[in-house]
Amino acid sequence: MTATIEAPPATAAAPKTRRKRRDWRAIGAFAVLTGPMVIGLGLFKYVAIGWSFLLSFNDARGTISLGHWTGLTNYVFLLEDDAFRTSLTTIALFTVFIVPITFVASLALAVLINSIRRGRAFFRTVFLVPAAVSYVVAALVWKMALFNGLPSGVANVIGGLFGADPVPWLSQQNPPVYWVAVVTLRLWLQVGLYMILFLAGLQAISPTLYEAGELDGTSKWQAFRYITLPQLRNTSVAVLLLILIAAFQAFDEFYNLFSTGLAGTSTAPVKPPLVYLYDSALGDQNYGVGSAGAFVLTVIIIVITLLQGRIVGFGKKD
Amino acid sequence: MSPMNRRSFLVGSVLFAGGAALAGCTSDPLNKNAGSVAGAKVTLQQWYHAYGESGTQQAVQRYAQEFTKANPDIAINVSWIAGDYETKLNSAMLTAEAPDLFELGDFRYQNVKNGLLAPLDDIVGPVKGDFSQAALDTVTVDGKIYGVKMIDDVMMLFYRKSALQAAGVQPPQTFAELLEATKKLNTGKQKGLYVGTDGVGEAATLLLWSSGADFFDSSGKKISFAAPEAVAAIAGLKQLHDSGGLLQGYPTDWSDPGAFANGATAMQWGGLWSLPDIKKSLADDFGVVAWPKFGDSGKQVARVGGWYQLANAKSKNLEAAKKFINWLWIQQADLQKEWCVKYGFHIPARKEVAAQTTEFSTGAAKEAVTISQSNGHSYSGLWNKASATLFLQAATKIANGQADPAAELGDAAKKAQAEVDKQLA
Repeated sequence: MTATIEAPPATAAAPKTRRKRRDWRAIGAFAVLTGPMVIGLGLFKYVAIGWSFLLSFNDARGTISLGHWTGLTNYVFLLEDDAFRTSLTTIALFTVFIVPITFVASLALAVLINSIRRGRAFFRTVFLVPAAVSYVVAALVWKMALFNGLPSGVANVIGGLFGADPVPWLSQQNPPVYWVAVVTLRLWLQVGLYMILFLAGLQAISPTLYEAGELDGTSKWQAFRYITLPQLRNTSVAVLLLILIAAFQAFDEFYNLFSTGLAGTSTAPVKPPLVYLYDSALGDQNYGVGSAGAFVLTVIIIVITLLQGRIVGFGKKD
Repeated sequence: MSPMNRRSFLVGSVLFAGGAALAGCTSDPLNKNAGSVAGAKVTLQQWYHAYGESGTQQAVQRYAQEFTKANPDIAINVSWIAGDYETKLNSAMLTAEAPDLFELGDFRYQNVKNGLLAPLDDIVGPVKGDFSQAALDTVTVDGKIYGVKMIDDVMMLFYRKSALQAAGVQPPQTFAELLEATKKLNTGKQKGLYVGTDGVGEAATLLLWSSGADFFDSSGKKISFAAPEAVAAIAGLKQLHDSGGLLQGYPTDWSDPGAFANGATAMQWGGLWSLPDIKKSLADDFGVVAWPKFGDSGKQVARVGGWYQLANAKSKNLEAAKKFINWLWIQQADLQKEWCVKYGFHIPARKEVAAQTTEFSTGAAKEAVTISQSNGHSYSGLWNKASATLFLQAATKIANGQADPAAELGDAAKKAQAEVDKQLA
């Protein structure tokens, strides 16, 4: 360990003659430090991904060994299955709703907290704390306490104040009120985290810009529109990307809100793709279809991310 | 920062990270050797689903310890698995972490086909006559017996006598009466009927059976839950949903007596195992009845389930696992009896043990035994999770009026048939 620290950093400051010779100590240190990570990633991620890719072309029921090559059967099965197609539509709709709401809510909170003078740390903490709560725990609180179907459930008590009848929030489909539970849960858990990212971005904006704006007599809205927003572009793009991917990978709250003990999620009113795939692979033991679905989903996420990058210009220089 | 500080910081972080890594990456993440006893050569891994009644987990651990006392070579580590037990078991069975022996509620033919189960003829054979024919038939594949029935569980409709009296209704015998009772018993605070937090539970299955239809036709290999009488019966689920008297979204599911015992519903589909808990809350103010019959050609039904003890065919310690199964579920009649009546109520699977059990000679418990004998119905071993998911998804849509029952069930039946054909291939 000590050797690594004392080894001269390979910067331009190093003499030119030494640069040409290979610095074996540095290479050795590099290998030692990155080796475990690379081997771990390779073994536990990439080998598994590769195996799963092969499985997706096999009839693998109740087994994860290869041997029943079926070509594209699993992919065809998935794309022909209404349940899988519905799950894709579901997640697309969910994303269309949740991404802008999360984005606007976390940006608004960040701007508000950044503008107050007292108690900034307090409010920052208050909004960030939910981000530390696990999805499973939060989903259980939502399911058992807030949105249960009893007249004494919190949501039904509040509804009762306005004269509404008690509603089985998580199973009623006409109208589909379960979305209220799903969306509020995700907002509560996520907004604080993205708010922190925005706060960091806000604090990196040079105050001189605002001072110059004030001299020119900009209104608050103009300052936000022409200084804050453009300066936050990189943060915004990164946050958008993170929210989008997180939305597409939604699993925990859907599984935990809608699963019923021994029966799993068979009677869930909605299933996002990951729950569908969980049920196929781990519930029905159809690992071929499960793997194929994982790759379909991956391709969709990559395509959307690339498109989004194109549209909002991720990675472009300012 | 001075170099010294930086170095001590680094040493500190390395120590911390190393410690965390050691703590996180112990070679025994599942605490597998917790049950091992000094001197034991073999530690068996045994899985149970999480029984709801208090004391059950301690009981099975005690049984394991008593076995080790008698057989010091073999220790047993019990895992108590909460949640979706079968899914967790199925994935574990494909790995090196697979349990050596485990219980399973619904016997699945596909587990035999996939080579996961060891035949247990040498254990069951000598006492074959002591089990019911149904319990043997379910686990027999190609002449070999793959499981030991531990307990019989009968599921039936619990009703609150005082509530029915107040509303002027009789315990329902037909679906029309059930629907009527569900409406009349609804007082707002106390709903009429509870079949599960999702509003479906086992009700779709019961409606199907109560119409005289079944998942499979008489050949046992062709899916028949989309037959006209079945469609009509399952469409009854929507009538229950529209009645306004169906309780939904209760925090505990139908397998737990909570909704009924706490007065949130006047009738609940539940299991015999809940009987002691219900008695504690309601004393004698309750009765049990089978699920009402649907239509003229229908019949009253109750589901008879229960749990089988199975052994992992790939276990390295198969002989030891079989020895334990034989010891606990064949030889130890006292422990079997204790397991059946001391916590939740279960009917002992072995006639000899059942004959010694006095708890089922009176009241609702006696009634339950009668119901299980005259109305009992069980799942076929060919009915697997994939088919069940298809069926339940269709039923959920029908219950909510989102689909035409005949079309939806027809579609599900076609897909379920494909799953069955794959198993038989």
